[in-house]
Amino acid sequence: MGVFTKIPYVLLGLFILINYGLLVTGIFRRISARIGKRIGMPVYQPWINLVKLYAKRSSVYHGIMFYLGPVFRLGGGVGIFLFMPLIFGSEYFSNFSFAGDLILIMYFMFFGMLGMALGAGEGGHPYSAIGISRGLAQFTAIELPLTFAIIAIAIQYQTLSLTEIVAAQQGGITHWVLFTNPFATAAGMLSFLGAMGASPFNVVRAPQEIPIGPPVEFNSGFLAVLRTNAALLHIVEAILWMNLFFGGATNWIELFIKSFCVYFFALFVGTVFPRFRVDQSIRWYLKVPLILGILAILYIKFI
Amino acid sequence: MVNPIHIVSISLGVAFFLGFLRKANHNLTSTIMLLAFAANAFISAQWLWAFIYSNTEPFYIFTAGFRPPYSISLLMGRNEAIFTFLINIAGLLSGIFMLKTYLRHGVYAMMAFLGLILGLNIIILTRDLFNFFVFMEVSSIATAGMIILIKNVKSVSAGFKYIVASSLISILLLLGIVFIYYFGGSLNIDDMITNHLLVSKGAEVAVFLVLMSILLELKPFPANGWALDVYEGSLPGIGALLSATSATAVYFVLNKLLAFANPYWYNVVAVVGMISFIGSNLLGIKQKNAQRLLGYSSVGQIGLLLVILGFSNTLGEKFEYIAFGVLISHYLAKSGLFWLAGIVKQDNIKNWAALQKKPIFLFFMGVFLFTLAGFPPFPSFFAKWQLIMELSTAGMYAWVIGILFGSFLEAVYLFRWFGYAMKGEHNDLPMFELPWHKILPVVIGVLSVFGISYISKDWLPGGTSLNFIPLYFIAFMYLIDFAPAKVKNTIVILVITYYSWLVIPNYYNTDIIRLIFSSIFLIGAILTLIPGYLKKGSRKGFYPAALLMFSGLIGLVESTNIYQFFFSWELMTIGSYLLIIRGKYSMPHAFKYLLFSVGGAYFMLMGFGMAHAGQASLSFDILRTGVPYSSIIFLLIAIGFMTKLASLGFHIWLPGAYGESEADVAPMVSSILINAGVFGFIILMTHIPDANIGYFNIPYMLGWIGVISALVGNIMASLQEDARKLVAYSSIGVMGYVLFGMAMMSHLGWLTAITYTINHFLFKGLLFLAIGGVILRTKTFNMYEMGGLIKKMPWSFIAVLIGIITLAGIPPLSGYAGKWLFYNAIVLKGWYIQGAFIMFAGIIAFLYCFRLIYAIFLGQLKDEHRNIKEASVWFIIPQYIIIITIMLFSAFPQYVLNPIGNWLSQYFPNNALVWNGSLATSSLGYWNAFNIMMIVMGMFVVLLLFLLLVNRGSKKVGQFDIVYAAERPERPETTHMAYNLYAHYNKAIGFLITPWITKSWDNISEWVNTIANHTRKIYNGNGQAYALHILIYIVIAYLIINGGLF
Repeated sequence: MGVFTKIPYVLLGLFILINYGLLVTGIFRRISARIGKRIGMPVYQPWINLVKLYAKRSSVYHGIMFYLGPVFRLGGGVGIFLFMPLIFGSEYFSNFSFAGDLILIMYFMFFGMLGMALGAGEGGHPYSAIGISRGLAQFTAIELPLTFAIIAIAIQYQTLSLTEIVAAQQGGITHWVLFTNPFATAAGMLSFLGAMGASPFNVVRAPQEIPIGPPVEFNSGFLAVLRTNAALLHIVEAILWMNLFFGGATNWIELFIKSFCVYFFALFVGTVFPRFRVDQSIRWYLKVPLILGILAILYIKFI
Repeated sequence: MVNPIHIVSISLGVAFFLGFLRKANHNLTSTIMLLAFAANAFISAQWLWAFIYSNTEPFYIFTAGFRPPYSISLLMGRNEAIFTFLINIAGLLSGIFMLKTYLRHGVYAMMAFLGLILGLNIIILTRDLFNFFVFMEVSSIATAGMIILIKNVKSVSAGFKYIVASSLISILLLLGIVFIYYFGGSLNIDDMITNHLLVSKGAEVAVFLVLMSILLELKPFPANGWALDVYEGSLPGIGALLSATSATAVYFVLNKLLAFANPYWYNVVAVVGMISFIGSNLLGIKQKNAQRLLGYSSVGQIGLLLVILGFSNTLGEKFEYIAFGVLISHYLAKSGLFWLAGIVKQDNIKNWAALQKKPIFLFFMGVFLFTLAGFPPFPSFFAKWQLIMELSTAGMYAWVIGILFGSFLEAVYLFRWFGYAMKGEHNDLPMFELPWHKILPVVIGVLSVFGISYISKDWLPGGTSLNFIPLYFIAFMYLIDFAPAKVKNTIVILVITYYSWLVIPNYYNTDIIRLIFSSIFLIGAILTLIPGYLKKGSRKGFYPAALLMFSGLIGLVESTNIYQFFFSWELMTIGSYLLIIRGKYSMPHAFKYLLFSVGGAYFMLMGFGMAHAGQASLSFDILRTGVPYSSIIFLLIAIGFMTKLASLGFHIWLPGAYGESEADVAPMVSSILINAGVFGFIILMTHIPDANIGYFNIPYMLGWIGVISALVGNIMASLQEDARKLVAYSSIGVMGYVLFGMAMMSHLGWLTAITYTINHFLFKGLLFLAIGGVILRTKTFNMYEMGGLIKKMPWSFIAVLIGIITLAGIPPLSGYAGKWLFYNAIVLKGWYIQGAFIMFAGIIAFLYCFRLIYAIFLGQLKDEHRNIKEASVWFIIPQYIIIITIMLFSAFPQYVLNPIGNWLSQYFPNNALVWNGSLATSSLGYWNAFNIMMIVMGMFVVLLLFLLLVNRGSKKVGQFDIVYAAERPERPETTHMAYNLYAHYNKAIGFLITPWITKSWDNISEWVNTIANHTRKIYNGNGQAYALHILIYIVIAYLIINGGLF
């Protein structure tokens, strides 16, 4: 299939995932409200928010980088999506994964992060800078166990291609990395908590102390783009982890179910545990998750 | 030809004649004296010429018409001609230098001076022991008289101590001579040698006394307190004389007399020399008085000469070359420095900053110091190289270590002194007088150094292969140093462009590695020279230094053997040191840099020596596995390169050296110079691919050092407030990756390392140029004092943005290539744990990348920067050339990486990348740079258009229009959140960067200083104690020598 004939399918996949992401956001807001003995917002509230923000007529910005920040951010989310094979075995939904492998996806995460950080930086709000400095610092620690997990998977399957990693996990639930290397999965899932930015690792946007942190200055269309990205990015990340540890998905239904469960893990932990300070979360990641990561490699190497 | 006896007759005659002219005009008498020296020098020169060019036979002079043993005979041979020439020239120049002193003190001083030089001439020429004694006494008495030419407590007590010591030595000498006559029945040296007169046990004692007293005349450590006081207390001109003439003459005598001694005496001489060399240089470290420091250095150099003499048999035919190289360097440099001391008239080495008032004198001082320290292109460099090679060949590694250690100690105090002179505060210091008669000898000294350097390189095997052409150009640039900087900049850029045109195409299709490195060095040079157009005035001294560095660098690439390599390496060191020290507060950092460079170079030199041992060739091929000790050779040379790469443990010089240097020097050193280490590693590791010492695999250890360097470098960079230091620490980090990649010893590992090297050259040049340009405008280095500059300096902002995206390895720019290769490499190599940590280090890089761009360009603009302009266009131009290069490399990496891969396959055939157009496939994954670039760009444009559509009519608001809950921002300073941005990170993992390495280096330095300080307490200034030292020295020496140790 040519690159250009692929574009409609890519757009279709993008559309599905954004809407699915919004849906999941709505559902989880609802669930966490119920846990807190509140009723919570309607499940369709994210769509309403988005439409409202996109439709706003008054909009302000602080400069070119501020303007480009959301573009970078959404570019980051869309980029990961573009380079990720969604449905295993489907040529229509393999996106542009021919351009690069797992490492590309890993490093493309930074594309959005950095762009956003710069955009927020130009906003000139100190809370933005505080949020970013926390986010970046925390992210270094979050990535470490994940790096170990990915190396362990690469050793296990001798590939860095996401499609091949998924392919290797086909043929039954016991072929998933979850069972073939539980340590890698554990390390990876702990990293996932941080990557999702949910409690206890949500000090980056801690609403009570630095009102929502980095995006504090973004409004109307800018914020809408960021919200779009948040919906997309979180679900794409869930799909990435699903591909890495839980055998990927061979059809859309499987994808929805598995990614929902992965996503739910972050919500579950976040609802139970309170927020860490940044230095606490960094040290936390450098203890148990790091050890799990090392064990993952030792496990695959020697057992 | 004039009979050498006339040296005696002229000196004596003039000395007596002057006695009649007491009342005459001193101008006349001093002229007569100088003429006498000139005549003497002429006689020696004439003989020297004859010996060199027409192979004249040695010439004997028999006095009083009898033959020995009934008369005294003198010999004028080739060596005698050289040495008397040196003595007489030194006499002449010294006479000129001290003209004022002689004019003031009249004929008696002149007579003493003539007596001194006469005595020295005769002890060189004589073949009679007693005659030697007599003229030794003559010169001693004359010297004592000369010491007290200046009347103060120091000089009088120095003169007194000198008399005490030299009388003591004379007594021994005389006793020895008496015994020798008793046992041998002759006083003629030739007699003793040819007839082996001194073989009995008793004669050994006699020989002991004679040789020991001569050794003591050479002021061996620690029985040399008197000599140091003399150096310190007498006029600088006298210091020059003592150091250049007396020591030289006595050294010659020792060589002459060793011929009749038992061969073990050579070992004694070597041991005495080594103790002197190390001990004296160690004590020199604590010395603050310039003349005394020179005294220590003199003693040290004589010690080295003794070592060389002691091994004259081992060195064989190279002995003369080596001894001459060291001796002439010492002779010229030491007298030059003493003369400079006489000009600048500052006791404390810190006050030599006064030289800055006349920068040409700094140049003179630099020439002398670099000569002493054995840097190229000076004769001592060639001699030291040869010495190390020969000693290594003989397997005498302990001695090699001793010599290099002593040389290192010497470099410590010499270059601390030079640092003070170059950068010390000089406004309060008085301007020194510059009479012609003081300048002339110094200038002649400097010219002679260069002249002899030029000649001496040809005497060495392989010396003619050295490329001196760049040096001529540098000399030319120094001659036109007065010209405006813009003119010189243009000349230099044109010449380097032309040179690039000559050199780089040669490597195209033949040697991809040399193609890459010559491009980095030469094109990098051009790019970093462009900002030089900004400078007003003539920018004195900059261009010769920069060119020295660049010619050293390109010399590395062009070198085909270890000798050329080391020569270029040292040139590069001098040039970069002189560049780095130009920064306003660079003095201590440049000093550290130099020490690490010198230390590293000595390790390397030792490695080269070991490799060369037993092999005739000098080519790189002698470095190979299978050579004895190849692992140790590997380690030694690797340490040399690691000092340049600033790997952890050897990194402490880097932040200051790079951070404090001038705005356009920083990119030169950080993005270009540092690659010399990488190139070195490539050379080393392609020849010795594996090295194990015991159970330790050295590349494996290097890998871990790389990891820790990367981690610590990046964490440190994140915690800096000073933009330049941040970028400098980042170099430590990136070079950690490179070292790690090289250490992997695999195809992809090396490909990663080389990719990182190219990327680092590009982004570090870009960042340092951008930051340099900004700092020149903001006048502050602290990032938190900047902020919001994107609006004022958009061009610089874009440059930094591209720089950090490349640095951080974010796709689609070329930094990602490095990351992708790294992942593949570490999985394939099996270095999982360290690999994961190095990726972790890579993520930490985000912290400082963000800090750099945010704190400077984003956030709140400060009031004082409201009218600031964009950085100078001369900084912007090279940045954008680099940006274009980055873009091309990012989109089409295959044109660079594919040939590198092909080249690598000859060393590491496994796991090579397969290229299919722009698609690279490893056995693990794949990467299509061009596609990624296109996809990302397309996506970005679409999203941007989307946002523009959604946000049409968006309004730009002012700086303080921000959401500030129920408050309003006070000032930009309080709103710009940039100071201590990563406080929490420091709290979390700051313990990882406890500076225990810096502390341990500080401790080592502290110990050395303490040892030096305590040891020098034996020099208590008491003449009796000094006499006692001499006696104890003799007794101990006797016990050891006759105790059978030798």
